Amino acid sequence: MSGVRAVRISIESACEKQVQEVGLDGTETYLQPLSMSQNLARLAQRIDFSQGSGSEEEEAAGPDGDAQDWAGAGAEPDDEEGLVKFQPSLWPWDSVRNNLRSALTEMCVLYDVLSIVRDKKFMTLDPVSQDALPPKQSPQTLQLISKKKSLAGAAQILLKGAERLTKSVTENQENKLQRDFNSELLRLRQHWKLRKVGDKILGDLSYRSAGSLFPHHGTFEVIKNTDIDLDKKIPEDYCPLDVQIPSDLEGSAYIKVSIQKQAPDIGDLGTVNLFKRPLPKSKPGSPHWQTKLEAAQNVLLCKEIFAQLSREAVQIKSQIPHIVVKNQIISQPFPSLQLSISLCHSSNDKKSQKCAPEKPGPEDHLYVLEHNLHLLIREFHKQTLSSIVMPHPASAPFGHKRMRLSGPQAFDKNEINSIQSTEGLLEKIIKQAKHIFLRSRTAATIDSLASRIEDPQIQAHWSNINDVYESSVKVLITSQGYEQICKSIQLQLNIGVEQVRVVHRDGRMSQHQVHAVQQLAKVMGWQVLSFSNHVGLGPIESIGNASAITVASPSGDYAISVRNGPESGSKIMVQFPRNQCKDLPKSDVLQDSKWSHLRGPFKEVQWNKMEGRNFVYKMELLMSALSPCLL
Amino acid sequence: MEAPPVTMMPVTGGTINMMEYLLQGSVLDHSLESLIHRLRGLCDNMEPETFLDHEMVFLLKGQQASPFVLRARRSMDRAGAPWHLRYLGQPEMGDKNRHALVRNCVDIATSENLTDFLMEMGFRMDHEFVAKGHLFRKGIMKIVVYKIFRILVPGNTDSTEALSLSYLVELSVVAPAGQDMVSDDMRNFAEQLKPLVHLEKIDPKRLM
Repeated sequence: MSGVRAVRISIESACEKQVQEVGLDGTETYLQPLSMSQNLARLAQRIDFSQGSGSEEEEAAGPDGDAQDWAGAGAEPDDEEGLVKFQPSLWPWDSVRNNLRSALTEMCVLYDVLSIVRDKKFMTLDPVSQDALPPKQSPQTLQLISKKKSLAGAAQILLKGAERLTKSVTENQENKLQRDFNSELLRLRQHWKLRKVGDKILGDLSYRSAGSLFPHHGTFEVIKNTDIDLDKKIPEDYCPLDVQIPSDLEGSAYIKVSIQKQAPDIGDLGTVNLFKRPLPKSKPGSPHWQTKLEAAQNVLLCKEIFAQLSREAVQIKSQIPHIVVKNQIISQPFPSLQLSISLCHSSNDKKSQKCAPEKPGPEDHLYVLEHNLHLLIREFHKQTLSSIVMPHPASAPFGHKRMRLSGPQAFDKNEINSIQSTEGLLEKIIKQAKHIFLRSRTAATIDSLASRIEDPQIQAHWSNINDVYESSVKVLITSQGYEQICKSIQLQLNIGVEQVRVVHRDGRMSQHQVHAVQQLAKVMGWQVLSFSNHVGLGPIESIGNASAITVASPSGDYAISVRNGPESGSKIMVQFPRNQCKDLPKSDVLQDSKWSHLRGPFKEVQWNKMEGRNFVYKMELLMSALSPCLL
Repeated sequence: MEAPPVTMMPVTGGTINMMEYLLQGSVLDHSLESLIHRLRGLCDNMEPETFLDHEMVFLLKGQQASPFVLRARRSMDRAGAPWHLRYLGQPEMGDKNRHALVRNCVDIATSENLTDFLMEMGFRMDHEFVAKGHLFRKGIMKIVVYKIFRILVPGNTDSTEALSLSYLVELSVVAPAGQDMVSDDMRNFAEQLKPLVHLEKIDPKRLM
């Protein structure tokens, strides 16, 4: 019964005043209701004083209690009840009162019963046993129905969830722009430095934080890509983010370094073609802004390199001045040799796309030097960031640590010069170019000599590990097949920036043959009779001196004499024993036959008709032919 | 013959007239870490540098009312570093648009007998302190975050006591006179440090 409010019963009598008279104009004059005293008088007349007083008291208790229950009742009925026991039929509320009273009694009784039953001590409620309801349906049907209900409930929940998901997906589609912009921005932030200025997002693609002092600002702006039509299909490579790079960094650039033999006319300067190099293919995973920004950064670096080079070209005093024209620096490291460094910057305008891309020739570009330029500028950047520049004490200005010491410790000019690296970028590159040129020249010379001269073979071993300014090559002059014994001539060439230093291990090339014979003699057991590196007899050679050797066979019968000169070639003579020569003049002086065993006149060997691959081989054959085989 | 007057005018002649542009601020001790992190991100990418310096301020009282001030500073943690002598002129007033404090500045590296030399010249040491903190750079800008320690026993740099519970932050550039765009760059940089530390132009005269 909780929650049910007590119902208030209000009773009102329709006390209409009695009409006394109705006026001619329709107004009604009411009888004034009796005032209290008048009423009391009227009632008093009705009292039958002959009756007993007990009933008065009873009646007084009851109506008093009732008076509280009655709300809104007028004073008249109360007075009436309290004073008179009159016939019930005369009082209009009696039945109502009786009914209410009985209802109240009933309610009180019920309330009492319920409170007692609640205690369960004195009274309990017992359910009325009913017959089991006859099952209207079979148990399976009941289960089916219950299962259906539960499934329907579950289905409802799932449907609600699905509806929510589809709603969020559609919302996603609509808000794709907004959300992807933020995630793209996050990705951009992982690669580049961004900062917010006002309501613009600016980024920095310069090398300033890496130590560059180039005054270009290098800021790019990040803008939202809003020109997307939601109705049309979104293209594959759509990106909600776009970057706007400064106009002078658009396109792509590279530094071209090349060496040309002839110096062109002055009029041709400044007309370096801006090659439109095919755009480097971007890595498959990288978004288009990454390639754009990287290309712009490369352009900036190339500009910095070129600015540094041209600044040095103008400032540095050198014997042959460097020429700086538009986007090209021309210098002459060696006479009749021209080194040109140019900045090729092609923007992405439609104009430059029209001219056909020319393929640069392979010997045109010196990629190594270009790479080295990049490395040098990066080194320069790192120098400005190194901690030797930081001041200690902290109030001192920035500058090299040793330069600060130069004042207090009174360095002289040489010491100060040794601290400062006076070489600029340009000088370094020119030195490297000189070295490269010299090296290629040397290699070409050696190769041509080797291909021209077949007999002693010239082998060149270039060392793999070279400096940018120095390379070395070992040249071996050997005869094929006899490398081990004829190792006497070895040259080591150290190719520097401007000179080639040759370190001979031994004599010159023409002596090789003779030395080879000497070694061979040792091996074959022949005796060396005479050996001369520089013979004074015979025709004078234009380069160097001829050398000669004479070897005798083990038995002494034969001797071979070899004279080798760089120009005159080799001359081989064999000395036979006297008894083998037929046309010796007979003489009476020699009586004994033993003298015929001595060696006699020389005979020249037709060396070009000898069998054998090379000189030493032929010599070996000759020696073995002249040694009697001991069988 | 009268001694030439000690002048407050900018030192001219000989070398280029260098001006120091300065912005100052301070942070409480507990915010130091976040400030250092932020500076490491904003400044040039180098290993963080710490320093421990001992500075002595020398005065020469001449006939003028205001004495001539020279600052001698030495590094306590780097052996072999030269002493640093500094003259700072009066701040240039007038231009409200200039965002940084500008004053004439002369920096000289000296050998270790600087204090004896100054004493012989007639300077007297006014006060000294120890500065300990971090040093950053961004291009030509130098950012120094340091704590000042008072020296309790004159001459003894081991007995020190911190002057306050905060760190002083200074952003300075030494550049030739006339380059006012430097102060714009400084202000832009100071903007980026804004919520952590407010760097502003503090006129030393107003503090006294």
